[in-house]
Amino acid sequence: MKFFQYLLKIDRRIIYIVMGILVMLPLIKPLGLGVTSGPRATALFDAIDALPAGKTILISVDFDPSSMPELYPMLAGVMRHAFAKDLKVLLCGLWVTGVGLADKAVTEIPPEYGKKYGEDVVYLGWKAGVDAVILGMGENIKNVFPADYQGHPLDSLPMMREVQRLRDIPIAFAISAGTPGYQDWLLFAQSRYGMKVGAGLTAVSAADAYPYLQSGQLTGLLAGMKGGAEYEVMVQKKGYSRAYMPAVAAMDSQSLAHVVIMILVIVGNIAYFATRKRGA
Amino acid sequence: MHLSNSILTWIAAILTIGIFSFLWKDNPFYKFCEHLFVGVSVGYSISLTWYNAVYPDLFNPLFLQPFSAVSLGRKLLLVIPLILGLCYFCRFIPKVSWLIRFPMAFVLGWASGVAIPAYFQTNILKQMQGTFLTPGIFSRWDVLLWAIISFIGVICSVFYFFFSKEHKGALKVASETGIVFLMVGFGASFGYTVMARMSLLIGRFQFILGDWLGVIK
Repeated sequence: MKFFQYLLKIDRRIIYIVMGILVMLPLIKPLGLGVTSGPRATALFDAIDALPAGKTILISVDFDPSSMPELYPMLAGVMRHAFAKDLKVLLCGLWVTGVGLADKAVTEIPPEYGKKYGEDVVYLGWKAGVDAVILGMGENIKNVFPADYQGHPLDSLPMMREVQRLRDIPIAFAISAGTPGYQDWLLFAQSRYGMKVGAGLTAVSAADAYPYLQSGQLTGLLAGMKGGAEYEVMVQKKGYSRAYMPAVAAMDSQSLAHVVIMILVIVGNIAYFATRKRGA
Repeated sequence: MHLSNSILTWIAAILTIGIFSFLWKDNPFYKFCEHLFVGVSVGYSISLTWYNAVYPDLFNPLFLQPFSAVSLGRKLLLVIPLILGLCYFCRFIPKVSWLIRFPMAFVLGWASGVAIPAYFQTNILKQMQGTFLTPGIFSRWDVLLWAIISFIGVICSVFYFFFSKEHKGALKVASETGIVFLMVGFGASFGYTVMARMSLLIGRFQFILGDWLGVIK
């Protein structure tokens, strides 16, 4: 019993240190536990993979730097997949704090595939007024974004001659850390313009998206860092990319941390009930 | 090991350690990092809002561009959002604080009108249909089984929130079954939350060990 009482009084900082070490070690020396792709990530991958070359996909970057470890690998993975398939990528954002992240991706990833800005990729930037932005893009993208993020008029960009409105884009991939995000794309882009929508979400909000997946409203779902890792693995397996996979690299740490938390939850509950019974 | 020679990486690493220092106990270094984060976030958002929305869509066409570039009609049209926007600041002046009702009324009215039909379609009609009639329901037995389970789950969970009649007999069985489904839902949400928090911790460690210390790729 003393052991259980000791467990319940253990200093939380010891748990932090143990957790920190267990998260850090697999990053330095990977365990190679591996990542398997689930049906939700595969559905999104297949939907993009099935598009013919030359088509445009829309990526909505609706997250900020605090969600970067979970969501940026998804953005990079989907962009690499699209470029490897000779698809064009149009990016925009509903989060003002996400503009720098999308700009980073647009600067770093297209050159890996020899893609040119304006011909293969365009970043529209951010505009205020979520609903109005999506509805406006449904009518005419140029009305909402007369110029791209860098200030080029859309008429001067070759890629935008073929993409006038949302109906010209077969699928949107909304990477969301909250609201506004994928739900707004479902509400306005899908219900009004019949657009396919896939979502990449932080793990916190992923559980809320399952009903949309089950009803077929979402084409696919990447949930948290694991979702990003699943997509990275599929992109690499098909030979579309040889780039470093940050989400896959993190999965060993994630697995180890989950094991520790499961042990702590089980041991904590046993200790609680054991000491409570004795007290009663 | 290859230490970063970028001053920005060093600042980010030191601030990360500052925030982590709260895990040991609250301290002035943590407070400094926390306040700096709040200030920088707000400043960043304000400057981006100005340069991406207010300046190009309102200030520039209304005040800087000549009539040859922007017609009088469009300039007059832009005065309406300018006035509505300024009304928000009336909140700080008690005598005219009531003026905030105009932009609020406009936003609420517009948003409700636009969102209600779409919300009804996306979150009620499609979801009611998707409670049982999921894509490919009759193609495989396991899809059908999960559809039946989720249908039972939805009905029983709704019964749990049915308060017009005392939960006795069949209603009690249904509502208690509903609790089981709700608990499973909460458990799934908690599991995902743990995963999310761990991901953020791993992300920071990847930065410290990779970008800063150069121990990993």
